[in-house]
Amino acid sequence: MSAVLDEKTAAPRFKAPEHSFTLAANLGTGPVSVEPYRSPAYFELERERVFRRAWLYAGRVEALPETHSYFIKDLDVCKASVLVTRGKGERIRAFHNVCSHRGNLVVNQACGKAERFVCKYHNWSYSSDGSLMGIPDQKHFFDVDKKTCGLTPIACEVWEGFIFINLQPTPEVSLAEFLGPFGTKYAGIPYFNLDETIVIEADFQANWKLICDAFAEPYHVPSLHPGTLAPGFAHPEDNKYARPLSAMAHGIHRHFSAYGNPQYVPAPESKVERMVYIQDTGGVLGGDAQGNAAALWSHPAINPTKDPNWSADVTWIFPNFNIDYSTGGFWTHEFWPVAYNRTKWTQRIYIPKTASVRHRLQLEHYACRWAEVVLEDVTNCERIQRGLESGAKDVMHLQDAEMLIRHNLHVLDNWVKADRVADALK
Amino acid sequence: MSAAESSGTSLPAGFEPLETYVPYWCLDTNDARRAARSQAEMPEIQAFYDAIVARAEDAIAHVEQFELGQMPAEAERLFKLLLAMNHAAIAVEMHGAPRAIDSNWPSAVRISRGPWPHGGTL
Repeated sequence: MSAVLDEKTAAPRFKAPEHSFTLAANLGTGPVSVEPYRSPAYFELERERVFRRAWLYAGRVEALPETHSYFIKDLDVCKASVLVTRGKGERIRAFHNVCSHRGNLVVNQACGKAERFVCKYHNWSYSSDGSLMGIPDQKHFFDVDKKTCGLTPIACEVWEGFIFINLQPTPEVSLAEFLGPFGTKYAGIPYFNLDETIVIEADFQANWKLICDAFAEPYHVPSLHPGTLAPGFAHPEDNKYARPLSAMAHGIHRHFSAYGNPQYVPAPESKVERMVYIQDTGGVLGGDAQGNAAALWSHPAINPTKDPNWSADVTWIFPNFNIDYSTGGFWTHEFWPVAYNRTKWTQRIYIPKTASVRHRLQLEHYACRWAEVVLEDVTNCERIQRGLESGAKDVMHLQDAEMLIRHNLHVLDNWVKADRVADALK
Repeated sequence: MSAAESSGTSLPAGFEPLETYVPYWCLDTNDARRAARSQAEMPEIQAFYDAIVARAEDAIAHVEQFELGQMPAEAERLFKLLLAMNHAAIAVEMHGAPRAIDSNWPSAVRISRGPWPHGGTL
């Protein structure tokens, strides 16, 4: 561990909450089955009953800066290519990116601006509101009704600038109903630095929930991330196992608040880290050095116990989206299943524009430290997948700091079993 | 031909001892710098780290004379070495190894975008 404790900092000593997060969330305490992580049959149930019925995060509104802006969101798990557009009247819509003529994909650029979308197969064209505009040589078709041949719409709603889609032809519940108490508690949070991002991606051989789980608990931080994270997120005396400050269910969604070592400063021999370290933004999570984060911290949902030893909140919007808030800003994770044992993960870290040479060096350090944390987790997830697929163990044992994992498996089971989404939300 | 090039170095005058690191460590994107460090041997990383850290404050002072993204080629090369210094630091200061313990290369992870300038994009 490269950290040293700064004796000059008079920070209050951390006192772990005495109540059980697991019991407070009305969850059981026994071992849980690992079958959802290794069963192809269970994955098919997730595909049909979770990902085809839940509201799924597609992107931020800033990805559609102008009228006629668009982006494509590929959902491998639902075998869908989704076209998200900002049409006339600024309305954001989503469609299946599939031509009504012969079923080809219409748009093949990841993003851009276009008043009309033309299928390259036979030049059928569509407007940004999805309506069919033109059919070349239409007179040789047989009673084709252009009004019914637009792009197939996908339900699309926006919460706090986050665009969600739902692949049910008619969603059983609205986005607001789906988000439930999470949507109201986390409303009104200020988002900033939205036009600049560090993007880290990984495509790896493990079940999607393993990487969700990696971000759902801090218990593994001292052991799996000894150099990259542990010095800032644990304390050799006060919080050896990075015990969280709080962990709660919010309907089907959830959060935990991570401990941050307030005395952390880089060790004298860590010359580069000392060069780029910014104490006032929380150091290792210091994406923003311009004071924007202060308004974020004061929101009642953030660090809800207002513990001075706070470093970050992980929020996990079911099924596969995290919005994480820290002392220095925020970032998101999308954990997209591809197969029962393959996942694509995208992390977007929202950062301020580079202000100076020293700031640029800090951002470089920030990005490469994050990539290293990601590498540690990805490598570990692939090892867990191998371990679970060996059949050696049928259950896993979760401790109280791992409450979010238990809650997710409980909610997932409800969704897989429920015939109606309303029942799955109970 | 610039003054630096005519003197046999691609870096600004005064930074000649760092020239030996330019071919391997002077790279265009964050992910390329990460790849260089991840595939290097620890003695190579340590040598680069020691050399660049010793001159880091001088190098920062030099490149700070110019606007980001608008530096002369010599200064930009020096700036890219400073950016690579951060990656070398991950190995030297955090792992004591070129990359995360028990990790493989090629890696499933990539930094596909930013920060700018000299970051990366899809």
